[in-house]
Amino acid sequence: MAAVSYKPYFSAGLKEWIFTTDHKKIGIMYGVTSLIFFLVAGLSALAIRLELYQPGLQYMSEDAYNKALTIHGVLMQFWWAVAIWGSFGNYLLPLMIGARDVAFPRLNALSYWFFFAASVLALITLLPGNHIRMLWTGYPPFSLNDNAGPVAFYALIIHMLGASSLASAINLVVTNLTMRAPGVTLKKMNLFLHSFLAMNVIQILGVPALAGAVTMLLMDKYFQTAFFDPTRGGDPLLYQNLFWFYSHPVVYVMILPAFGLISEMIAVFSRREIFGRTSMIIAIWGIAILGFMVWIHHLFTSGVPDWIRILFSYTTVLIGVPTGIKIFNWVFTLYKGSVRFTTPMLYTLSSIFMFLIGGLTGIPLGLPAFDIGVHDSHFVVAHFHYVLGMALTLAVFGGFHYWYPKFTGRMYNELWAKIALVLVMIGSNLFYFLQFIVGLEGMPRRYADYPAIESWIRLHELQTIGSMILGFGVILAIANLVFSTKIGKKAEDNPWQSPSLEWLIPSPPPPHNFDKIPHMPEDWDPYHYEWLEKQHKKH
Amino acid sequence: MKEVLAYPANYWQTMYEIWLFISVIIYLVVFIPAAYFLVKYRYKKGINEKAQHAKESKALEVLWTIIPTIVVIYLATQSFAFYRVQRNAPEGAMEIKVTAFMWGWEFEYPNGKKVFSFFNGVVDPEKNVYLTPEKVNDMFKAYIPAGTPIKVLLTSRDVIHSFYVHPAKVTEDAVPGRITHMWFQVNKEGEYWVFCREYCGTQHSKMAAVLKVVPKEEFEKWLNQGVQTQNITDRQNL
Repeated sequence: MAAVSYKPYFSAGLKEWIFTTDHKKIGIMYGVTSLIFFLVAGLSALAIRLELYQPGLQYMSEDAYNKALTIHGVLMQFWWAVAIWGSFGNYLLPLMIGARDVAFPRLNALSYWFFFAASVLALITLLPGNHIRMLWTGYPPFSLNDNAGPVAFYALIIHMLGASSLASAINLVVTNLTMRAPGVTLKKMNLFLHSFLAMNVIQILGVPALAGAVTMLLMDKYFQTAFFDPTRGGDPLLYQNLFWFYSHPVVYVMILPAFGLISEMIAVFSRREIFGRTSMIIAIWGIAILGFMVWIHHLFTSGVPDWIRILFSYTTVLIGVPTGIKIFNWVFTLYKGSVRFTTPMLYTLSSIFMFLIGGLTGIPLGLPAFDIGVHDSHFVVAHFHYVLGMALTLAVFGGFHYWYPKFTGRMYNELWAKIALVLVMIGSNLFYFLQFIVGLEGMPRRYADYPAIESWIRLHELQTIGSMILGFGVILAIANLVFSTKIGKKAEDNPWQSPSLEWLIPSPPPPHNFDKIPHMPEDWDPYHYEWLEKQHKKH
Repeated sequence: MKEVLAYPANYWQTMYEIWLFISVIIYLVVFIPAAYFLVKYRYKKGINEKAQHAKESKALEVLWTIIPTIVVIYLATQSFAFYRVQRNAPEGAMEIKVTAFMWGWEFEYPNGKKVFSFFNGVVDPEKNVYLTPEKVNDMFKAYIPAGTPIKVLLTSRDVIHSFYVHPAKVTEDAVPGRITHMWFQVNKEGEYWVFCREYCGTQHSKMAAVLKVVPKEEFEKWLNQGVQTQNITDRQNL
């Protein structure tokens, strides 16, 4: 395209970063913040694993353990699994639809700075005296108890994050719907865009419920209201309902974009259109809608009436159907393809593999007859670490590698990226698979200490070893990505030969993205790889 | 029914086995074609450089929508059938009232006898590690007659806890201001753990109790012995 060469957007000075409204810079800031907190959360997880290595308390007190659990949960959920999509969404969405920026660039900057404010508050809670020990769920009446720590921090953090999420979600939905370049029709939107659309709609519908719940919690604790205090006529289950009304759908906020990334990568590296594209889109929306009808499975043992438990067990397992459709379609995308085993493809395949195990183990948790024995056990922990912990993280890292040349103009080191993946897969499966078993044997979750049951000790030892391998693999992968920004080989503009719009402009993109707003021809489609070959022949 | 360690754990076990069987099949149905496609359609220079055109298949899409729907609805219905039994105590079950508090359990028997189990009763005071159930002082143990269904009425004095009977594979929350229920039956004599399964603060991980399952006659004898009230009031004042 343009013959003029620009200074890469990321070589800007500090002042420019702070005052920027460029969606790419904001995306990078989201990504860096998210990664830093991911490391903090990961380290707290390793501390937890170290403590569980043997029964008894060797390295920390119960309170320290509970703090570590809270830090790990809150940061992984909100700073990693949700906020990392702020990075991908902001950076890539405008590029994919052929826009020069998002619809409301200033609002976009505000979203990030709300998120930044929440990050500062979160760091303050790490200081002595400000520890929160009520886990990310913050169930009353425990959270009204002094043992829980300063609840106000938690409520403010959730409000900051909520404001950030809402603004960002509205921004991206409007951008997606109104700013698509001519030729990028709804039908020709790729699955990344579809899943981000669904994910942002979930955010808009769900966040108010959580904001309401924590506001009531705040008022109960500091302003003598009694929404949740049973001694004054409140009902603690009200909080759980409000909380999970958002916090169950939020798992789809986390995983739907991961599905989007997987779809992009598996298609480009099989060199063919995603199989069953229409049913994939229906499945995305099916998950988004069903996702709002299943929250009671978090309350299966909490004293809600039995008939409600049964009703919600049906809706819960039905969510397995659209997710199943997605997995089958990914598998059949490989069919008659020309599969390239590049690093992002390996991450993608690993992610699907982990999601399959996580998904299959999620089904029995929707069956009260099984859940009654494993509710709040390590089985549940293992399940959501397979889906949200591993499938999501592997998709994110796949995405980091896939769009690395786009973000930085350079290539990562292939060998180290693959070694890191092997370590992550060995470590995580050793860790989380054994966690299923210790959960089946009854180990309750959130336990700093456990009785010296022979098989539990053995299982916990191996899990801790697995977690250390996993941690090492993750650090290796991140180190590779960080160092490659300086020493990586120069990348081509379109190393994967994808016709998706973000790849048709130089890498890294110029500050204004497109010299001219692209007019995409009739025969263009983000998954029509032959189109790109035809273009090459023309020139 | 064959002799099982505890009810309703047998239903849990059957549900688990049904699910495991189906999951392994689904796993293979996904994994085998995936592995086959990955090998067969891998990029080979000069041989498989370009993807072939593969048509969309409505039939396949319908197939993998309908079959999983049937499978999950079967699973949920099977679970429904089991859950009725797992939730509803058989007639003639002995009722005990369990009140949870930070951090321990109060068991109240039909004749008013009470047992208190505290978090510090199940640990070695010097090393702060869990004792084995046999080493826990009998005073803190809830005696349960073997082979008798027990209906538990649960509530809590402060925050939400969850009463998990380890051998019976059942858990139910103890919610302040509500009375929830569950039932279990242990057939083999011995000593078993009860754990708190809902996070409740500092000593959550030590909020365990021991069920001492004894023959019916021994249980009757124990039940009618006087309650050691002085110890309990001491403890309560702590």
